Amino acid sequence: MANTALPAAKADARTTGQRLVNQWLANIHSAPERGQPVAYIFVMGNAVEILRTFDFELVFPEINSLQTGVRKAAPDFLAKAEDYGFSPDVCSYVKADVGLMLSNMEHPSGTHIPKPDIAIASSLCNVYIKWAEIWERHFGVPAFVLDIPGKRFANWQPLPGTPQYGADKRWVEGQLCDLIERCEHITGKKFDPDRLAEVESNVNEMIRLWVEILKLNQQRPAPYNSMLDGLTYIGVLNAWRGTPEGVEYMRLLHDEVAGKVARGEGRVQEERFRLIFSGTPCYVNMRRMVDLFESHGGVFAASDYLTYAAGGLDSSGLFYDPSRPLESLAEVTTLASQLGLSNHFFSHQTLAQQVKEYAADGIVYHGIKSCRTVATSMADNREYVTSRYGLPTLYIESDLIDPRYWSDAQIKNRVDAFFEVLEQRTLKGGR
Amino acid sequence: MVYVAGIDVGSTQAKAVVLNDQAQIVGEAILDVEMNMGTAAQQVFDLVVANAGLTADAIAFTVATGYGRYRVTFGDLQVTEISCHARGATAEFPRTRTVLDIGGQDTKAIRIGDAGEVMDFAMNDKCAAGTGRFLGAASFALELPLSDLGPLAMKATAPVKITTTCTVFAESEIIGHLAKGHRPEDVLAGMHYAIATRCASLVRRVGLTPEITFTGGVSRNAAMVSLLQQVLGTPLNVSAQGHFMGAIGAALYALDHARSGSRQPHVEEVAP
Repeated sequence: MANTALPAAKADARTTGQRLVNQWLANIHSAPERGQPVAYIFVMGNAVEILRTFDFELVFPEINSLQTGVRKAAPDFLAKAEDYGFSPDVCSYVKADVGLMLSNMEHPSGTHIPKPDIAIASSLCNVYIKWAEIWERHFGVPAFVLDIPGKRFANWQPLPGTPQYGADKRWVEGQLCDLIERCEHITGKKFDPDRLAEVESNVNEMIRLWVEILKLNQQRPAPYNSMLDGLTYIGVLNAWRGTPEGVEYMRLLHDEVAGKVARGEGRVQEERFRLIFSGTPCYVNMRRMVDLFESHGGVFAASDYLTYAAGGLDSSGLFYDPSRPLESLAEVTTLASQLGLSNHFFSHQTLAQQVKEYAADGIVYHGIKSCRTVATSMADNREYVTSRYGLPTLYIESDLIDPRYWSDAQIKNRVDAFFEVLEQRTLKGGR
Repeated sequence: MVYVAGIDVGSTQAKAVVLNDQAQIVGEAILDVEMNMGTAAQQVFDLVVANAGLTADAIAFTVATGYGRYRVTFGDLQVTEISCHARGATAEFPRTRTVLDIGGQDTKAIRIGDAGEVMDFAMNDKCAAGTGRFLGAASFALELPLSDLGPLAMKATAPVKITTTCTVFAESEIIGHLAKGHRPEDVLAGMHYAIATRCASLVRRVGLTPEITFTGGVSRNAAMVSLLQQVLGTPLNVSAQGHFMGAIGAALYALDHARSGSRQPHVEEVAP
């Protein structure tokens, strides 16, 4: 890339991101006293655009749970859920959330998480609906379940223009109308399509910038690590999706990352290997995990997590048409779900494309001990990229937030061996 | 003459070899690892040097491998046992394309490229099922030395089906089968079969490409060799030095470094 000077970023994206996260948590904390309605939603398939039009404060229980890991408080919350009777095999995000309920919703961030006025689940992860049923029982708030059809068969995709896509879209749109009715009832406000269009325009701009930010990491050296810096980026992206603040943050971030590219600044001092991370992070030890790779000069230039965890695959470049906001929301929701977490049929193709675009030297798969859903497709996926592209891959396993599944010596051993494989390949001049 | 050492500090035993500049083994040593891996590493090094009839300053380069490789403070380089087993196996059996190493705590299947390089590997995760530790549990429950397990298992006439491969539960399962009146050899045969099927799955995961070389401490167990051959449907290369294969691989890496001169304070002559 040409070494052109870009104007310096006006404010620091990191500080701004931190401020926005704090403000988001403070808003949640103070919602009841301000009479603000609260929605519990998941990261994928959440119809957040509609909730924004009704000014709900958004609580992401997945983010609450991962934050117990980041803040090293997960064991206490997991223990509470297990003491209550949950099996150690149950999704650790669910258990941390149950632990939070059993702790009077006092989150280790210092936030008191208020009870929901509406709780929305979707069919995009097979745990979501059961999880929402726990909320129903605990808070006495009926869950609203969005049934979003994904891909049903391998090698078949209901694309726009096909009768099946039309049916899927209508199915989703009908549910969104039901959701709007429910929101009107809860808030006493009338649905405003112009407000939805405004929110969608903001989302479009955030996505446009996000796609650019992801592309900037195709540069060598990669300006950021998608599994460390990138995790902060999507946290803000999710919490402030569809807002002017979110747009401003993405602009700052984009300029900052573009500046690094222009100056040739890499995330690691000497980038020796460009890697792709597939799967969900180990939030309780992510810095350590990234260190294990970066100490060998390996940087995660891309990850499928930054696509599917960003509100449901924003990086595929799905944009809203604000001139017909509700219909467009149904269309994008339908298409995004085809590419989301629950779809295993085409994930290998997405990954293979990333390998080319990011000039990856290898792929690291991270299996989650308490989530078989994300780990299930990894074997096929790995077989595909290994046999088709001869690309070195590594499979390591730990958990989302349960430190009991982190075995440092075992993981380090595998990572060291993986880099020996990469080194041998480099010496032989092959990939 | 140049001498190099390879030290493999595993979870249960520390193995060491000394090679001369012709890559011939001139000394080997093995010790149980107890509390301190660093102490075990030093002791096995002292022992192997003595067994080779040398002194420590005659060793031009030392490569450490195994879980305890970073505890070998006197070593010059650390290499993982995946690379070392691959290196050792291909040195003895050059047509090796798959290595299966069953150690005390880890089982590894390694796919090898045409030039002897590691292409891929798979290991048991978060659980010692299908590793030597499982046989250790059997040894404890049956009050038999490890070396007796394989020969006894081969006398089985009606092997029992072992449903668990959990090392922790193995002992209670064995006791349960014995209580039901099954003979120890039949229970042992069932245990060997359970390990073999689990290890075969790891091999298939990296691609079952002959020739397959079986290394690690468990490769000394004839019943396991026989069952693995049966389950995998292909003969296995088994070295008489299979137990030392990680240490041999480490020593071969050490020899590369000694020859390339990356550290050779005591080298008087270097083989071409």
